[in-house]
Amino acid sequence: MNPIVEIRNLSKVYSQGEIQVTALDDIHLDIHPSDFLTLMGPSGSGKSTLLHIIAGIDRQSSGICKVQGIDLLGLNESALADWRNQNVGFIFQSFNLIPVLSAFENVELPLLLTRLGRPERRKLVQTALELVGLEDRAGHLPKQLSGGQEQRVAIARALVTDPALVVADEPTGNLDSESAQQVLEILQSLSRDAGKTVIMVTHDPRAAAFGNRTIHLEKGRFAEPSTSEAKA
Amino acid sequence: MTTTTFIIRNALRNKRRAFLSAMSVAVSLFLFVTLQVALRELTIPPEDIGASLRIAVRNKVSLAQPLPVRQLQVIEKIPGVAAVTPFSYFGGLFRNESFTTFAQFAVNPNRFTNVFVEAKASSEHLQAWIKDRGSCLVGLDTMERYDLKVGDRMLLTGTLYSADLDMKIVGTYQGTLDDRSVFFHHTYLDELTEDPGTVGTWWVRAASAEVAPQVIQSINSAFENTSSEVRAESERAFQMGFVSMWGNIKMLIDSICSAIVFTLLLVSVSTMSMAIRERFRELAILKAIGFRRNELLSFILAESLLLSLLGAVMGAGGAAWIFHYIDIQALSGGMFVYFEVTERMLGSAFLIAMVLGVLSGVVPGLSVCRMSVVDGLKTLD
Repeated sequence: MNPIVEIRNLSKVYSQGEIQVTALDDIHLDIHPSDFLTLMGPSGSGKSTLLHIIAGIDRQSSGICKVQGIDLLGLNESALADWRNQNVGFIFQSFNLIPVLSAFENVELPLLLTRLGRPERRKLVQTALELVGLEDRAGHLPKQLSGGQEQRVAIARALVTDPALVVADEPTGNLDSESAQQVLEILQSLSRDAGKTVIMVTHDPRAAAFGNRTIHLEKGRFAEPSTSEAKA
Repeated sequence: MTTTTFIIRNALRNKRRAFLSAMSVAVSLFLFVTLQVALRELTIPPEDIGASLRIAVRNKVSLAQPLPVRQLQVIEKIPGVAAVTPFSYFGGLFRNESFTTFAQFAVNPNRFTNVFVEAKASSEHLQAWIKDRGSCLVGLDTMERYDLKVGDRMLLTGTLYSADLDMKIVGTYQGTLDDRSVFFHHTYLDELTEDPGTVGTWWVRAASAEVAPQVIQSINSAFENTSSEVRAESERAFQMGFVSMWGNIKMLIDSICSAIVFTLLLVSVSTMSMAIRERFRELAILKAIGFRRNELLSFILAESLLLSLLGAVMGAGGAAWIFHYIDIQALSGGMFVYFEVTERMLGSAFLIAMVLGVLSGVVPGLSVCRMSVVDGLKTLD
């Protein structure tokens, strides 16, 4: 099976004045469809940077990052925005829902960029909300939802365009253990049952255990090649 | 949800701030429109149909210097002169008022309607006025304002002259752009002042607009090198002479308007920048899920425009509505008569609001465009 993400000799160097900080250093990585990959490592190890480059919201300094066979470095800003809309679902630690929009409208937001009509959008949003078990909260504003429910709305928003890739940056960081468990089960189900490729950054080994593959990063490199293991 | 709904929700997400932003635009544009209306009324006096033909003749030294009565015979004979009447301002106070709320002029009743052709009075009233030397013709606005009727007495306390007027109202007129003035017999004024030999000004009606410039020139020439040289000018030029006594009021008002607009721009840019800065993370998320730079810039510009135009509707539209319904003449003590908000002024106000909306949205909008998604997301932590 061809990998959905192919990374070769990937490096990312930040310039802070005269100081050069290497966030990623000559990374090689293949991620396959339906993988649930977790990225672990201490703060500043480069795991979020790697996630951002794979998701097309940051660009590498050198090397190649191909997603679905497309070299993201070759896309201009507009093309990259379109690509993200169609291929990537984002889940963040702080949920980041628009406070003035209801759960339904927050989920509908990425669909405003498509050519879909209102009835089609409605159907997709309802399906996404059902998938995360929040169909009865569709009309609620974010402030009327619990943290766990907000994150599930964010997951629905990430899924509504049916992306091949779902990226999650510490999605359980602001949740209690019960809500975290629910969110992780949804992500696991997306990978296992819906065939989505899920890449999750986490500090929590218990969260990482939900993935089928874990990579440890340290100072911009894989901690040991052997930790990039496949779980059954 | 539509894109429009999304923009409106965002614009009104902080209702207090949105209201205050719109109100700041509204109050400023209300002031702008009010100043423009006042400027227009002060600098461009309204003209009626006879104004293009009318010529005012005053003493060249100053308006306060009288002219000799003997000039009438000379003026009458100048080619192109259709009619002429003496016209002397009395400036009396009515009913113990502290200032003159309507003008009073001594004229020749037989000649008056030939010069001020748009002043319409019934022939009955006109004849009664012509016959009675102690009578006067009162504008309909003044009749209504003071609840006067034909047959009432009009008592005026002199301020420029040492005499008081006691006249009988025998008729009313209307049809001029300012139906407030009172006209009475010049002979009555001559008697009271015991000065039958002078008048304040002459008002002349030219036979046609084509000959009016020549008539002005001829009148000026006719009295050159006499003891009472005159300055003849069109009614418009005469009115503008009064305005010039205010100094360069146009520049003053325009400067105030510019300061208002500039201050408003600074306030709007600052408010909009703060509002957008608070939403950097949200905007970064929108970018991440696929919204392009130009789409985000459009959202911000639309929000900004929406608030500005809302302010323009409240401010400029409110000014038009208020000035249409309130009695500005009474409020201003007769200083302003019409106080009309023109379409041009409304257009200017809305144009300012649009420019304001664009400029105040462009500044934060461009910083959002320049912001990378990753930098925007960092504002989360």
